Amino acid sequence: MTSATDFDLVVIGGGPGGYVAAIRAAQLGLRTAVVEREHLGGICLNWGCIPTKALLRTSELYRQIKEAEAFGLRVDGVGFDFERLVRRSRDVAGKLARGVAYLMKKNKIAVFDATGRLEGPGRVALAGHDGTTLPSLTASHIIVATGARARSLPGLEPDGTRIWTYKEAMVPDRLPQSLLVIGSGAIGIEFASFYSALGAAVTVVEVQDRILPVEDEEISKLAHTAFVKQRLTIHTSATVEQLRDTETGVSARLRTADGNTTEMAVERVILAVGITGNVEGLGLEEQGVKIDRGHIVVDAWCRTGVPGLYAIGDVVGPPWLAHKAMHEGVLCVEKIAGAKAVHPLDPASVPGCTYCTPQIASLGLTERAAREAGYELKIGRYPYAANGKAIALGETDGLVKTIFDAKTGALLGAHMIGAEVTELIQGFAIGKTLETTEAELMATIFPHPTLSEMMHESVLDAFGRALHI
Amino acid sequence: MNVPMGHNGPRESSAEHVMDRIAEQILGNRQNGTGDAARLFASPLARRIAHERGIDLAALKGSGPHGRIVLADVERAAAQAQPATPRPAPETGGAPAQPEASVMEAAVMGELMHAPPSAPAPGLAQPMPDKQILALYEPGSYEIVPHDTMRRFIAERLTLAKQTIPHFYLNIECELDALLAARTRLNGMAPQDGPRAFKLSVNDFIIKAMAMALQTVPAANATWTEEGILRHRPSDIAVAVALEGGGLYTPVIRDAEVKSLSEISNEMRDLAGRARSKRLAPHEYQGGATSISNLGMYGIDSFDAVINPPHSSILAIGRAEKKPIVKDDAIKIATMMGATLSCDHRVIDGALGAELLAAFKAYLETP
Repeated sequence: MTSATDFDLVVIGGGPGGYVAAIRAAQLGLRTAVVEREHLGGICLNWGCIPTKALLRTSELYRQIKEAEAFGLRVDGVGFDFERLVRRSRDVAGKLARGVAYLMKKNKIAVFDATGRLEGPGRVALAGHDGTTLPSLTASHIIVATGARARSLPGLEPDGTRIWTYKEAMVPDRLPQSLLVIGSGAIGIEFASFYSALGAAVTVVEVQDRILPVEDEEISKLAHTAFVKQRLTIHTSATVEQLRDTETGVSARLRTADGNTTEMAVERVILAVGITGNVEGLGLEEQGVKIDRGHIVVDAWCRTGVPGLYAIGDVVGPPWLAHKAMHEGVLCVEKIAGAKAVHPLDPASVPGCTYCTPQIASLGLTERAAREAGYELKIGRYPYAANGKAIALGETDGLVKTIFDAKTGALLGAHMIGAEVTELIQGFAIGKTLETTEAELMATIFPHPTLSEMMHESVLDAFGRALHI
Repeated sequence: MNVPMGHNGPRESSAEHVMDRIAEQILGNRQNGTGDAARLFASPLARRIAHERGIDLAALKGSGPHGRIVLADVERAAAQAQPATPRPAPETGGAPAQPEASVMEAAVMGELMHAPPSAPAPGLAQPMPDKQILALYEPGSYEIVPHDTMRRFIAERLTLAKQTIPHFYLNIECELDALLAARTRLNGMAPQDGPRAFKLSVNDFIIKAMAMALQTVPAANATWTEEGILRHRPSDIAVAVALEGGGLYTPVIRDAEVKSLSEISNEMRDLAGRARSKRLAPHEYQGGATSISNLGMYGIDSFDAVINPPHSSILAIGRAEKKPIVKDDAIKIATMMGATLSCDHRVIDGALGAELLAAFKAYLETP
């Protein structure tokens, strides 16, 4: 018999990467423990992906209800209860967190409600919430899955009341009249979209020359146009140099692309300038783990270089996505367990989704990255305005763009903007994982009428064979 | 190319006809580079890139789920194959990279179809490395046709055959006039349709004659094993069926000595049809102690075939043509057909092989 503190695998961090790694390990017969300092499900489930989707569902419905007349509906007295819509978001998160606790129990995974710290090869020290020292855990393998947190910049530090990070932005007590969002990545844009839909005057500032800078340029441009139409104010190639508290809120000094600075007064600010790994206080350096710019350095199998010590998810670097963390968790554990046919994560196969209106989803290389990589391209485009289902839905803004290697027919990238693209992108993800060429995608039967037909048409268009355009 | 069997009449061996068939064969070969014998699991992209770079998928080990070959496997193989990086094979033009005759001549034993590649036995000469061969030719002056599973198999089994089986060859000429007359008569009596309908080919007579000859000379109906010689009771005869696009199958007619000509004919038609569409079950091409390979329709007079292990002989049939022969001290015209028996000397000595071939001739000439 083994003791209650000795395991095959200990995972530090119970977020999506950590708890998925633990479940896979349990499936493979490893005695597994998870150490979580705050709440199972991590940021994703409690303060990220899930609660924001609940908020965005409200704002999306609100936007649609306001357009009800165009659909032949009469809705009078449209309004919202801010406290209640925030509470719904918290309830959704709470429900899912309980679900993770159930999964741990079902898979006989030991959960330690404590803060973990590496104290030597194969040893994790535990500290309870009141600072008490709990018995240390021992394990042949330890996975660090401690996630990440919002990054702050000099002069742009969150104060938790007027200058928010995602966390405060998720649980406001009332709707601010005006809002400045610094950073136009997925997090910044989603909050901008949510608050703007509810009626706040939202300004987005992006240091790069376009919003959503990781997306394909064409998609960024379409998103920009759509947001401006929704009355968002967007400054690209611009920086916020200083934030200063005022009586009514915050005064921000904005340096715009032309080099001029202006002061703007807003009620609230959201900092969304990227995130940084939670690498502190874990004893990583003492164990010899290499850390580079706030993230743990690992190899293709998530190994840190220190025998028996691995790291996955946000703490090892971008893309900071729950599904990337889960995938790493699985491959890392399978490698540890000696499973066959384990492959390193292919960054070009990690889809990215942004749940603003219109939604944005992408996979693989952007057009520019593909060109820079030296590929000869075949590019297909299909607009929402030409799709029957989109017209019926009243969602005619959007585009499906596909990028192929002209020489081999390999799908290099897919970039989509428009209604429900976040649910569509997985079709291309499956295709990419199966290594299909254009031929199989073309030969696939897409149901009519669906938005997915645009994916088919975009592929056909790349090879000059689009049928409905 | 369709069937290297049957329809062996002199009229069908016209040069034009043969050239058309060879042209078909070459075209088919080019278009269908992936005529795998066993299904090979590979991603579409891996297939395409392998094809373009001239990499044989069958030689790769797949690292994907359930051994599926993925792009990474092909890229790894490509990196190892350096500097032999052929250009993509163009769709048209250029000569076929392989001599077609060897494909047709080699009757491959189906039963070993799925045998793992065997390493060359020690002491045997090794073939020239690819690098050395490629160095002899101007880059761009050739195209590379990647091996498919069947091509690799043929190469392995027949190299094994030539390296381990001491072959010797016996030639004989058979007069077919009585057979052709019997064929015309029997076909004239055949029901036009229904389950009993048949249309006999010369090849059906050849199969039957060989089956009877093996019963007459039972010592030649045998297989070599290290433990001892297997003497077979039934006459199970494998017949080479060439496939569109190259390669071949050897379905086996079992108990051919007890089957009627029409039964053999109909069974052969069914087996050949399914062989060509690659829908033969393994038990239908495994076993037997001898094979028949017929290249008569290409106008070949005679040839020496390679024995398909574990067989101990193979009968190579040339074309039938009218020739002046001396009969009863007079010159007469007769339809003559050349037959060459390749024998495994470990099992069949010269006299035994001669007895078998003589018996075959006797059965064939007096149907």
